[in-house]
Amino acid sequence: MSAKIPPKCPPPADHPLLEKLKAALGDAILNHGVTPEGHLCLMVPPGKVREVATKLKELGFDHVLSLSAVDYMAEGKFLVTYVYASYLNPDLKNQLLHVRAEIPRNDPKIASIADIYPSADYDERECHEMFGIWFEGNPHMGKRFLLDPDCCIDEKTGKPLYPLRKDFKVPDWGLMG
Amino acid sequence: MSQALREFLLKKAKLEKLFKWGVRWSLWPVHLVTSCCGVEVAHTSGPGFDAERWGVLPFHTMRQSNVILVEGTITKKMAKVLKMVYEQMPEPKYVIAMGACAVRGGLFWNSYHVVQVDTVVPVDVYIAGCPPTPEAVIRAFIMLHNKIKGQPGPYVEPTKVDLTPYLPPPPKPQPKPMAQQAG
Ligand code: SF4
Repeated sequence: MSAKIPPKCPPPADHPLLEKLKAALGDAILNHGVTPEGHLCLMVPPGKVREVATKLKELGFDHVLSLSAVDYMAEGKFLVTYVYASYLNPDLKNQLLHVRAEIPRNDPKIASIADIYPSADYDERECHEMFGIWFEGNPHMGKRFLLDPDCCIDEKTGKPLYPLRKDFKVPDWGLMG
Repeated sequence: MSQALREFLLKKAKLEKLFKWGVRWSLWPVHLVTSCCGVEVAHTSGPGFDAERWGVLPFHTMRQSNVILVEGTITKKMAKVLKMVYEQMPEPKYVIAMGACAVRGGLFWNSYHVVQVDTVVPVDVYIAGCPPTPEAVIRAFIMLHNKIKGQPGPYVEPTKVDLTPYLPPPPKPQPKPMAQQAG
């Protein structure tokens, strides 16, 4: 019996932004859904993340609010989630656009969007440090950002460990800590 | 030379008591505000609680202060800073670990990036709570006073206040109703 896996994108429904985005992005949209809060969620192929980001910038989304990943260990996949939002465009007020892409867990690489959206730079560096996802094109990959340089390193091989992956073992402090 | 002079002053001239009195009433803590507990310390030094009545003057440089008040979570990265700050302080120096996070890890217990303060520097007083109230912080300083005096323990004497003028007068004893006589 396999573990129950949460849905990658919420169930599809109508959304006021959908028509506009379908016209702009075309076949880059694999799937779509609407979250319980009423935000549109798009599934895109990992190779088209930069193309989608460029087009969204033209549409008026001016910053990336958050960028994070979810570890689906049973499926061997990472789900990278970008949340786009807008400060200035009155049509896009109170709208959050989720863009998700799936990448394989044993070769986690995806293109960086830090040069299109500078606000994604710190998030990419943190995501790299916590999950080990390599954002190609970001100059800070392979360096420590928030973690201590001596922390979370495999003692045998000397390679970094990624603390937010599901298979990371937290140190056991025992009952009395 | 200075060591010999210090020995003479403290041991022969019996200045130790004066020295301890001076240390006791000038505990100047250096803030190490690493988390939310720092907000309570701001209250402690504010006009409401005014910890300066006990000589607690908040300082922001470690080289002129003798207490380090660890306010909150210490991560592995910050533990190096804590050690460095502790080593720059002049003797005698004391450490107060404030909040559940600093004492045992608290909210972040058993995490990949959090350490307990007593594994880094020797701790004199612990304050429990998340966050501890300003009264608890002041009590920690009074415990430190007692430790310097040589009688460790939470030796806080309650002050007796006579409230009788402000209380309503006690009810007058009612005369007992007469037992009803039959017939
Ligand atoms: S003990 Fe509570 S209030 Fe203090 S730093 Fe930890 S979480 Fe914040």
